[in-house]
Amino acid sequence: MEPPKIWRERRGRYLGLGILCHDCKTKSFPVTNYCPECSSEKVEEIKLAQTGKILHFTKVSQTADEMMFNAPYIIGLIELNDGIRVTGQITDTKSEDLKDGMNVKMVFRVLSKNGEEGLIGYGFKFVPS
Amino acid sequence: MSNNETFIVGYGITKFGEQYSTNPSSSASTAITSAIHNAKISKDLIQGLYFGSLLSNTNLQPFVGAEAARECNLNVPISKVDAGNASGAAAFHQAFMAVKSGLLDCIVVLGTEKTSDYVNSSKIEQILGGTIDYLWEFEQGATLTSLYAWMTQAHMNEHNTTLEQLASVPVKNHRNGVNNPIAQYRREISLERFLKAKRISDPIGRFDPATHCDGSAAVIIVSDKFVKQHSEVEQKAKIVGSAQASDKLALHHRTTLSSLMATKVASKNAYSMAKIAPEDISIAEVHDSYPIGEILAIEDLGFFPKGEGGKATIEGKTQINSDISVNTSGGLKARGDPFGATGIAQIIEIVQQINGEADKRQVDDIKFGLAQNVMGTGASSLVNIFSNMEDDK
Amino acid sequence: MSKVGIVSYGSYIPKYRIAVEEIAKVWGEDPNEIKSQLQVHFKSVLGPDEDVATMSVEAARNAMNRWKGNPRDIGAIYVGSESHPYAVKPTATIVASAIDAEKELTAADLEFACKAGTAGMQMCFGLVKSNMIKFGLAIGSDDSQAKPRDPLEYTAGAGSAAFLIGSERVVAELEGTYSVTTDMPDFWRREGAIFPSHGNRFTGQPAYFQHIIDASKGLMENLGTKPSDYKFVTFHQPNTKFPLSVAKMLGFTADQIEISLICKKIGNAYSASSMLGLAAILNNSNPGDRIFITSYGSGAGSDSFSFLVTDAIEEIKTYPSTVDYYVNNSEEISYGVYSRYKGILR
Repeated sequence: MEPPKIWRERRGRYLGLGILCHDCKTKSFPVTNYCPECSSEKVEEIKLAQTGKILHFTKVSQTADEMMFNAPYIIGLIELNDGIRVTGQITDTKSEDLKDGMNVKMVFRVLSKNGEEGLIGYGFKFVPS
Repeated sequence: MSNNETFIVGYGITKFGEQYSTNPSSSASTAITSAIHNAKISKDLIQGLYFGSLLSNTNLQPFVGAEAARECNLNVPISKVDAGNASGAAAFHQAFMAVKSGLLDCIVVLGTEKTSDYVNSSKIEQILGGTIDYLWEFEQGATLTSLYAWMTQAHMNEHNTTLEQLASVPVKNHRNGVNNPIAQYRREISLERFLKAKRISDPIGRFDPATHCDGSAAVIIVSDKFVKQHSEVEQKAKIVGSAQASDKLALHHRTTLSSLMATKVASKNAYSMAKIAPEDISIAEVHDSYPIGEILAIEDLGFFPKGEGGKATIEGKTQINSDISVNTSGGLKARGDPFGATGIAQIIEIVQQINGEADKRQVDDIKFGLAQNVMGTGASSLVNIFSNMEDDK
Repeated sequence: MSKVGIVSYGSYIPKYRIAVEEIAKVWGEDPNEIKSQLQVHFKSVLGPDEDVATMSVEAARNAMNRWKGNPRDIGAIYVGSESHPYAVKPTATIVASAIDAEKELTAADLEFACKAGTAGMQMCFGLVKSNMIKFGLAIGSDDSQAKPRDPLEYTAGAGSAAFLIGSERVVAELEGTYSVTTDMPDFWRREGAIFPSHGNRFTGQPAYFQHIIDASKGLMENLGTKPSDYKFVTFHQPNTKFPLSVAKMLGFTADQIEISLICKKIGNAYSASSMLGLAAILNNSNPGDRIFITSYGSGAGSDSFSFLVTDAIEEIKTYPSTVDYYVNNSEEISYGVYSRYKGILR
């Protein structure tokens, strides 16, 4: 994860951001210049709901070096309470204790570590609530 | 659309597997040269090279199409086509359009890949991360395998597909691969082996995914005009349908995980171009990077109703010479998956089958054959349909 | 001039715990002796995807959610720790971004062993009192390292506490603060060294006790207060014995300190330690209660504070994510897993 990218994506990753279109009133994720539904430019940044439920989850044991420090971990498809779906890790838990449909809430965790000398990437994950 | 018919007149394919002593351009030039010899044409007739390769122009390999062209003494326009894992079929589709339009009359299409230099699987996962939403899926922690695990779960939840049904896909494909001389794996593997294996991303087991490897494959596409000018050149198959369709990149933006919209749309358009229906297809090479890949394919291509792909497979309806022969080559699973080469390898299997050259894998009475190649989790799907030209004679 | 004080607060303690028995087993020590000496039974351990920045953000977010004000009104953020994720690149800026407080504010990271967080509070009081900012956020947060086999290994725990300082809707008014600072080599870590070193018994009487006593007596003298004027008291908690002893030495009773003692279950949270004790007290306080707190940081120094709880505490003390919630949300791990989480196994 390169420095400019970490900086550019920080608010979206730390806060969980989407947009609200003032024309068609759709909420979408992530932040874009145009509404993906109606192409309007009249979009406003919004904070996504901080709670949601698990639609699917599975374990990841092998991924890029930058994310191996936390492996094996659980990756989930989460439907937030505002209807928006995101991909995020479900942390501080074991697969055996999770079920589709369970409630989760958003937390702030380390996503990546670029070796011992590189940058640390942070972002949103979920924990059972 | 123009009435210009297009044909395949030659093909060449290397063995697939881990080939540490073969460099990328040697593999590619071998496939190209084989195709030219197979077509029995002079290389001077070739007017263009289209190639697909996921890894070309990464640090470990050169812009392989250019280097391979130099080694084959081909001085032609070269286009690299990138559609991730579907780069081979995508290059084919672009070349098809160039020939169909009448702008070019003879094109070599190459699919080539060398993955074995990347000994660290972390690097391969990162490369495959480029075929999904790198920013909001991969960097959030998802991998291609974990997303296919979700798709498998969705299919199991919605259609009661079972682990046995899923495992029957690689069982069949390994059995078929025994009779494929260029396949990476040529031995059968039992259902128990697949079912007992550790889950790497539940419900996907350790032996379920196709293995990435090295290999190259090439075909030569020519126009009607070429065929009329060179009547001694044998037409090996007619391209009757070719289509590409796209879908949202990230699974969190899709409306369903148990069907690939891109395959449905691409196949509909390809059938329409060919003026045929799914029932007319006797043989199909589909993208079984994971077992669910084949089950989704045979449903979304219209061979079986949605939700019945697992049942059809375990009941043997996709074996050689049954209702429809699927992945007679062994599929990605047994043949191996050199990402960019796979799409062309699939097409070559169809061409060989149409020409009765498939030996112990041979399917009888083929009128139409189909090849389906998928990028990542289905952001792009390519469907190419070929005929045996009997109706034309 | 309007009163300044605490406007909101938030805490966070990671859920993993390692028992004294687990550690003692590895080194062939007697766990009962250790537990009786230190009166610590468990210490908290961060999960593999946590660090001082993530803990600081969680504590800060709890403070924000409890407060329900606008993070953009925060004019300063200070994070005190001896285990910042970077030697150069502040934790405070990560917090600023993660609570959406960017970008009209000042920020810095602090280090003063276990009192870096309370030093940050003092800086915020100063900035608010002088009308230079409206609100300041002071955080103490640590993922404490201790050399394996060293006695400190039993108590070096982890946690985070965030205090929002301001002059609007103050829940605990600052009556006064007083500090002592000397140059004292009782506990240190050189740049680049992984583990700290310490002076064993030297860290006791002349260090911890003397500074806390001097600062506490100094404050009470300035304010004209005595121990019995206070409903609650808390001190830095390197173990359970020390704060109980110093309380007694100063003339406080066990009842006054009891509710703030979390060390037995989570160990020494270093920069967060005394601040977590204060948060625990605030959750159990009522309008009119007086609170006394003195922190201690090796190197060495103590910050002493006297607070008066206001009516406004009723609005925010019922917020659910409390110190108690985090202390009790726990899962035990083995020494092997602890070694991996602590980064000792690389």
